[in-house]
Amino acid sequence: MTGLVFDPLLSWPLVAAVAVLAVLIAVWSFWRGLRGWPLRGLAGLAAAAALAGPALESGIRNKLSDIVLLLDDRSASQSLPGRVGQTDAAVENLTRQLAALPDTEVRRISVTDDPDGTLIGAALSRALAAEPQARVAGVIAVTDGLAHDAPMLPADAPAPVHVLLTGQPQDWDRRLVIEEAPAYGLIGQPVTIRLRIEDQGEVPPEIAASPARLQVTIDGEPSRSLDLPPGVTLDLPVVPEHAGQNVVSIGFDAPEAEVPELTTRNNMAALQIQGVRDRLRVLLVSGEPHAGERTWRNLLKSDANVDLIHFTILRPPDKMDAVPVDEMSLIAFPTQELFMERIRDFDLIIFDRYRVRGILMPQYFDNIRRYVEEGGAVLVSAGPEMSTVESLNLSPLGAILPARPTGRIYEEPFLPRLTDDGMRHPVTAGLPGAPSDDSETHWGRWLRMSQVLPERGSQVVMTGANDEPLLILNRVGRGRVGMLTSDQVWLWGRGFEGGGPQLELLRRIAHWSMKEPELEEEALLADVAAGLTVTITRRTMADTAPPVRITGPDGRTETLALTEEGPGRHSARWTAPEPGLYRLTDGEITRVIALGPAAPREFEETVASPAVLGPLVEKTRGGVVHLSQGLPDLRMVREGRPAHGRGVAGEWIAITPRGAASTSGIMHRPLLPGWGWLLIVAGLALGGWLSEGRGWPRRRAA
Amino acid sequence: MRLVLALLVMIAAAPLRAQDPDPQLIRAADEVALAYVITGDARVDETSEAGLRGISDVLTDRTTVEPGQPIGIDLDRDDLSLLTFLYWPVTESQPLPTPQAYVRLNHFLRSGGMVLFDTRDGDIAGLGGPDGAEALQRLAAPLDIPPLAPIPRDHVLTRSFYLLDDFPGRYQGADVWAEAPPAGAEAAEGVPFRNLNDGVSPVIIGGNSWAEAWAVGENGLPVYTVGSGLDGEHQREMAYRFGVNLIMYVLTGNYKSDQVHVPTLLERLRQEEVIQ
Repeated sequence: MTGLVFDPLLSWPLVAAVAVLAVLIAVWSFWRGLRGWPLRGLAGLAAAAALAGPALESGIRNKLSDIVLLLDDRSASQSLPGRVGQTDAAVENLTRQLAALPDTEVRRISVTDDPDGTLIGAALSRALAAEPQARVAGVIAVTDGLAHDAPMLPADAPAPVHVLLTGQPQDWDRRLVIEEAPAYGLIGQPVTIRLRIEDQGEVPPEIAASPARLQVTIDGEPSRSLDLPPGVTLDLPVVPEHAGQNVVSIGFDAPEAEVPELTTRNNMAALQIQGVRDRLRVLLVSGEPHAGERTWRNLLKSDANVDLIHFTILRPPDKMDAVPVDEMSLIAFPTQELFMERIRDFDLIIFDRYRVRGILMPQYFDNIRRYVEEGGAVLVSAGPEMSTVESLNLSPLGAILPARPTGRIYEEPFLPRLTDDGMRHPVTAGLPGAPSDDSETHWGRWLRMSQVLPERGSQVVMTGANDEPLLILNRVGRGRVGMLTSDQVWLWGRGFEGGGPQLELLRRIAHWSMKEPELEEEALLADVAAGLTVTITRRTMADTAPPVRITGPDGRTETLALTEEGPGRHSARWTAPEPGLYRLTDGEITRVIALGPAAPREFEETVASPAVLGPLVEKTRGGVVHLSQGLPDLRMVREGRPAHGRGVAGEWIAITPRGAASTSGIMHRPLLPGWGWLLIVAGLALGGWLSEGRGWPRRRAA
Repeated sequence: MRLVLALLVMIAAAPLRAQDPDPQLIRAADEVALAYVITGDARVDETSEAGLRGISDVLTDRTTVEPGQPIGIDLDRDDLSLLTFLYWPVTESQPLPTPQAYVRLNHFLRSGGMVLFDTRDGDIAGLGGPDGAEALQRLAAPLDIPPLAPIPRDHVLTRSFYLLDDFPGRYQGADVWAEAPPAGAEAAEGVPFRNLNDGVSPVIIGGNSWAEAWAVGENGLPVYTVGSGLDGEHQREMAYRFGVNLIMYVLTGNYKSDQVHVPTLLERLRQEEVIQ
């Protein structure tokens, strides 16, 4: 680090000119036969050298210590029995050995759980990037080798990478692998979950030969069980029974063996399949064209989930005109097909001001009644015809309708109001603009309705004139029926007296009757926010809601009281202690929710393996040491030599001291001080002058 | 003082809100009564009344729609939200309705109502002489009317009850205008209209003097002659058929266009059954 540098006082051409001049003078002197010519020339050259400003430069160097990265894996898979102790012992031992080495620093890196698994690759890349490459003397990772971010691992390292593997040689594990699971499924249509059982590690032979007994539960209800040998892929059909979350949990019991499997936490998976409804088919039968007919049409046609089949009786059978058929645009009403053959294809049949006028035969109505009792739905939007002899109530369908007309019709303006039940019922609860005591503004009025007597068990959610029932809902068998005793909901759409939420009301009535889960009266809802926090809401028609009992994955139960939030809504927030399958029940409704990932990533694979870190170890000539065979010794070897080997005492691993140093400053020292140069030049010039005999020899001659 | 005023306003407003609508209008809402605009010209108003009565009788005789007695509407006074259909004969002498009336009219058009403008000049329109166009422009200018076009041959109005290729009234042959189909909508098979108000054009404009063709007197006989002889009676029959189609269109929207698809839907149900 020491060297000669020039710092010329004049520019280089001038210095060169001086040197050339000196040589010329020497040549001229020689030619003239002057004896002092070499001294004259040297004097000139010395002057040129002085002008060039030669100086000595030297750096100040510091020796740098070596850095060893010591990474310990503290992820959940490292918490399996025995591994914590192994890790602690190895880390403590290494720390001690490293501390004994001269000029060696240790950088500790702890890798903990991440939602994406164990991210050793990222941690290692980050730690290496943070240190000067020239000082890294070794990397030692104490881990089970189960890193989930292989692509993030550095391709190479400046020093040997060693992996000290935890775990025991007899470790084995049997786990459930979900290869494919749909996130959505049509209700009632089977979806396929593809899965297999996988054995890893040193599986005892008697276990390897025996199949696992799989238990499948759907929403907490046991569905089926079957035996599956390991390594065989199974296509398991599962039917989502309802809209919204269907929680399918699949698991098997831990096999009995002398050495138990590493963990039972990967023996189960909870999958959530969102039940989606196929397009809904609605049959709308309008008894006559009237002002409100387009209201229903607009609603059902604008609903992307609904296939509407609409028939309007444009001409009753008892009216004829002389117009030839080919000049008319009327088609026959395919009653036999619709009401006998295809009726089960419909999710809802709406009778809009339908009057019984001999178009539909009594057996059709009887069939509609059966259809409802078996799970169908009928809505009646009744005009004044309901109070006449042509009323639907007088047909066989009347047996299941939620109210009977008295024959009286109120022809006066009235304000539709929600009943107490209506405030709670999801069909009417929260309708915007509902009349209330503390609000001046309210919906517009309607002008006509029929008086009815509600059937026992039905719910009156809206009332009209004289507080007579306006909207009545009921359940019949497995189906539902609804009745609107006025045909004037269209006035809301027209904005009469400000109008009202006509589309929203009709939409809710229609979807409630088609069993939309969001509109169920009695519902236990669990809204899973980010993480493990759940908002539990109980919607009910009753005044109070019982507390909810929560059963966790470990069988512990907890009771949660709900607070009333509004009419018929009780809720509470709750945070689960750990991921897993939780069963909520309040005695009537049971719901199963899965919190956290389907199967924790940490426990997907549990048998320690150097597979992920192996290539890096090999590339840097490091070593993989199984801690179950004892702790390795630590040595120092030169760079480029194998850093892992087996000695008499056992295995050893080595770090490579790098001998790195830093230059902390530069000393700049001129070769000669100014006066030194002056002495040389003057001395030489004087010498030349004297040697030419111009001094005392001339005096001698005199 | 201000508080007292505010209270007074509230007290005054509350009964106003609760004021019952005109019983005639309630009846119109209940019975789907057809309505016409009172123009102030007694002869025209009488004709409108007789015309709507005539077409109401035809509807009652031939279809399930049984409208009540027609109702005359004073645009400046009456609430239109209870109505479905409004017949508006255009006269030179009609005073311009008030701005409030236009607000009500525009709301009526937006929320699914329909106005039939009749310039009653089908015999002389387009000849270059004075016709109803100017008066129509004057009356209709403040209305939110979408772009109009002559009714295309595949419009649902041509098959909402009867199959029609012309829309005659007392006169025939002149173009009748409705909301223009949006550009490129022709391709949509059978349904050339935007899905606005269930595809019902808010206005129909023509000059065929339909009320005169429909009009019946107290004795049940036509009031005006239409054309001559048998041809004339045929034209009157076609005028009735237009009236029936028009009211069906107002009440059922694109229902008849949809029915084109019903066989396809039923076919699909059948196929799914085979698959399952």
